[in-house]
Amino acid sequence: MNGKQEANGGERTAGAAAKRLSIRDLNKSFGAVHVVKDLNLDVEPGEFLVLLGPSGCGKTTALRMIAGLEEADSGSIHIGDTDVTRILPKYRDVAMVFQSYALYPHKTVADNIGFPLKVRGVAEAARAEAVRDAAAQVQMETLLERYPRQLSGGQRQRVALARAIIRRPAAFLMDEPLSNLDAKLRGYMRAELKHMQHELGVTTIYVTHDQIEAMTLANRVAIIDQGVLQQLGTPRDVYGNPANLFVAGFMGSPPMNLVEGAIQNDRFQSQGVDIPLSGQDFAGAATLGFRPEDAKVVGAGEGLFDGRVYTAELTGEQTLVTIRMGEATMSIKMPKGYDVDFDSEVGVRFGSEQGFLFDTQTGGRIEARVVAAS
Amino acid sequence: MTAVSGRSDNARPGLLAPAGATAGLPFRVRFSEWLDQQSRQLFITPAVVMILVFSIFPLVASLIIAFSRIRLRGGSYQVTFVGFRNFNKQFFGSEQFHFLGTFRGISLLGWIVILAAAAGILWWLYRYTTTSFTKFGFVGRLITASLGFGLALLLGATFFSGHPFGTLVITLFYVVFGCAVQFAIGLGLAFLCAQPIKGRTFFRVVFFVPLMVTPIGVGYAFRMMADTTKGPFSPLWQWVGLGDFAWATNAWAARIFIVVGDSWQWIPFIFVILLAALENVPRDFVEAGQVDGASGWQIFREITWPTILPVAVTVTLIRVIEAFKIVDLPNIMTSGGPGIATESMTLHSFFSWRALDLGQSAAIAYLLLFITVVSCVSFFNLVVLGRIRQT
Amino acid sequence: MSILDRSGQPARSLTTRLFEPPAIGRMAPGSKFIVYSLLIFWAAFVLFPIYWVLITSFKLPIDVNRGPVFLPWVDFTPSLHAWRELFIIDYEDTLKAYFNSIVIALSSTTLCVLIGSMAAYALARIQYRPKLGTILLFVGSMAAAFVVVGRFGVDWRLSVAVALAVFYFLARALRRRFKVSVANGDILFWMISQRILSPIVVVVPIYMMFQSVRLLDTQIAIILTYSVVNLPIVVWLMYDFFTSIPIDLEESAQLDGATRITTFREIVLPLSKAGLAATTLLVMIFSWNEYLLALFLSTSRAQTMPILVAAMNAGERGILWWSMSVVIIVMIIPVVLMALVLQRFIAKGVLLGAVKG
Repeated sequence: MNGKQEANGGERTAGAAAKRLSIRDLNKSFGAVHVVKDLNLDVEPGEFLVLLGPSGCGKTTALRMIAGLEEADSGSIHIGDTDVTRILPKYRDVAMVFQSYALYPHKTVADNIGFPLKVRGVAEAARAEAVRDAAAQVQMETLLERYPRQLSGGQRQRVALARAIIRRPAAFLMDEPLSNLDAKLRGYMRAELKHMQHELGVTTIYVTHDQIEAMTLANRVAIIDQGVLQQLGTPRDVYGNPANLFVAGFMGSPPMNLVEGAIQNDRFQSQGVDIPLSGQDFAGAATLGFRPEDAKVVGAGEGLFDGRVYTAELTGEQTLVTIRMGEATMSIKMPKGYDVDFDSEVGVRFGSEQGFLFDTQTGGRIEARVVAAS
Repeated sequence: MTAVSGRSDNARPGLLAPAGATAGLPFRVRFSEWLDQQSRQLFITPAVVMILVFSIFPLVASLIIAFSRIRLRGGSYQVTFVGFRNFNKQFFGSEQFHFLGTFRGISLLGWIVILAAAAGILWWLYRYTTTSFTKFGFVGRLITASLGFGLALLLGATFFSGHPFGTLVITLFYVVFGCAVQFAIGLGLAFLCAQPIKGRTFFRVVFFVPLMVTPIGVGYAFRMMADTTKGPFSPLWQWVGLGDFAWATNAWAARIFIVVGDSWQWIPFIFVILLAALENVPRDFVEAGQVDGASGWQIFREITWPTILPVAVTVTLIRVIEAFKIVDLPNIMTSGGPGIATESMTLHSFFSWRALDLGQSAAIAYLLLFITVVSCVSFFNLVVLGRIRQT
Repeated sequence: MSILDRSGQPARSLTTRLFEPPAIGRMAPGSKFIVYSLLIFWAAFVLFPIYWVLITSFKLPIDVNRGPVFLPWVDFTPSLHAWRELFIIDYEDTLKAYFNSIVIALSSTTLCVLIGSMAAYALARIQYRPKLGTILLFVGSMAAAFVVVGRFGVDWRLSVAVALAVFYFLARALRRRFKVSVANGDILFWMISQRILSPIVVVVPIYMMFQSVRLLDTQIAIILTYSVVNLPIVVWLMYDFFTSIPIDLEESAQLDGATRITTFREIVLPLSKAGLAATTLLVMIFSWNEYLLALFLSTSRAQTMPILVAAMNAGERGILWWSMSVVIIVMIIPVVLMALVLQRFIAKGVLLGAVKG
């Protein structure tokens, strides 16, 4: 099947070769709102990059600027060696999959998939052939004569993908393409999407607010908040080594527990907490963070600090214990067999590699470690 | 490919086609690319030019005519600038009776109406200055208020003193009375058709038919209806003892009959849109009301009416705009008679044109335009914006 | 305490039984009776004048003049006399007017819907920011041209040409000076507000304009005039319709390489079929039935059907009711047929969108 495609798209292979995509100092404002601030990104040829962030963080605007649907205020966008910053969308050689799929309701599946070739004046016969190939790739070849309204959500999604594939673009841009599917289908389509991108080897930028999508799909994740790139790295990196307070609080479900306090004389102090630190010298307001799955509930006085059990919920695979300590509330994942009385006094313990310290003012990481008593 | 040419797509002003993107392509492709770059102008220019040539230019020319006397001389026009003479004639001169009405002293009732209107308007202005005050809003309200008072004065001196009034009041009668009747009946019919009954589609189609009949046909058809000797209702008239009563010779009967014809034609328009609005009222709202035990009237007042109000206001505005232009029906049904009793301002202007008095004709047309604009702007500001401010 | 009858239910009075709905969403028999009688009464009121015109078209002059007769074959013998007169004896005039009316209604509707939807689409999707200064400059130069024509009797073509040239160069020179600009909403309002103009305000200059280019009493003159008169309706209705189309579809088409014109033709127009149908119907009705402008702009060659209706008022000889009825009936038939075909678009509340306020 692959060989056939090669022969088919022979004269169009220029667009099919994966290209590097680089973004330099990109800025965009809508009126007084600065949506994207000095964005710098380098996407390797064939890479799957996910832009992750809460809604309204500017990730979609960044994607739309790459597509050419919004104009950049300043900065540059290169696809391959071409500067496309001031070039019309249709000359950028990118394909976009919209959240709503943007299928033309009055055209059949075949006409929808073939539309990019039609407007480029590709002859009828060649077009039909290409449509069949693209449809086969998303397993839609039997439904070519249907209209979008006769398709299920997952099938519409596939048609949208086929329409992007058929052009063999330099890059795929995807704007939350899975968010309109139900949870079960979403998991399935995610795997399929990942597989397909790997097969085609096309540089892909994928926008989502769903961290699970980001973790599973991405080669690298770019986390964006309020228009500013917070951290760029592999999913493992972003999860295990958050660069700042925002990333720490955004990733994970439930997210990292954060205890506000202050560092003085190499000790982190908060209400009922006093932990010795090693590493970078720092003094001032600081936040201690640790992941729910990294910590353990132990007997009172046996851990780094003590708290009172607020609730314990069995979620099926584990027990989620919520502990209150002064003002702070924290969640800790314990094995499913674990049981504890409400309101009992307990201790919390985690290893020195598992506690992270952040400067509360700037949000930045403090390179200090908890000195954990065994 | 890196170089960018100076050609710009006007639809996205900052973005360009790359240099040489279409070089070497067939002419058809290059032409469509060129067309695409012009699309920004291409889409809107025809409409703007059409409006400029056939609407704005005539509007300005008409204004000049309104201030001139025009004589036909050997196939060409001789235009003499006469200042406000055409308008003066309407307000104070020989045409006063025609436009404003006949002034022969004001009766006691007239004085009461005038004083009551003055008091009402002053109180309205006073309340505005004490609650919310902007310079712009105040000036606008001052214009509305002075016109309103002028109208009260006019009505007090003519209608309430028993003297005949002119085309201005007659036009306003058609607009206010006609639109009120049409709105009330249109809403009622829409409400009836929104009930869960069989045959709704049939009634909907039938009720829409009058809108499709040419107004001039409506005029003649109602002239037949009104005929008390040969018309279909003549047995009825004879039985009531009005066998020799002629509608067209009684001023009020003639006016009301014109409103009946106008309503017959225009109720469908209000009906269709209000019916659609009623059917768009979310079922949940109404059902929640029914479950809560609200009566039909309460549901209408508390749920249905507020939901359809925006549509109702807009459809009224459209209808008012069109009602100011009424001309075919009075022209056909009564030729403006008896006397000038049913003559609308458009008809007045038309008659002046037929008498080759172009200056007068344009002056009346401009007065009509002025009144329409002030009425519609007042309506829009006071009703539409007032409602928006409340919510 | 309510009085209970033998079955233990509250006693229901006659009014309650007649007007209390038996269940939510159902109607009580009494209310049903009232609703139906009102609806039937109104249907009779709506249909009777049309019925009367219809039977009048089959009456002989004597049947009309001897007082009211209602039922064909019972009260009077229907006759094709008036129909024969119009379609066999005087067929030239009738068919000419009918042909004119069809040509004018179809062309002006097509032109108007095309131009109007293009403008509506542009206003819905493209940002325009014309400078207020440029607009005022244009108005000023045109006003100056008028004054020059009026005061000094310069030929108007020369004057307008000079004014346009002056405007063009001044606008280029001063472009950077103008700061305040108007937005799409203002342009939209300007276009829609043209509907306020009563035809009587503009018809005399339009008459003179067509006279000066020798287009008076031609179909072209009437077509152009009708197109402009109805343009505000099209712009209003279609603007609302276009803004309701998801913009994703158009952006997707653009990324796929479609030009704006292709997008309009391939994506936007097919998706607006319902709105176009309703708008077309409305505009078509208005141009088909229009009388005043046609009266001004046509004398004989370009006469339309409404003029023919009025022509049956033969002055001295009285009104030829029977012939007039024929003309009215043949005018109603095509519109009603078209409305029946397009009825579902109107019923769907397509027109509603634009008046939502």
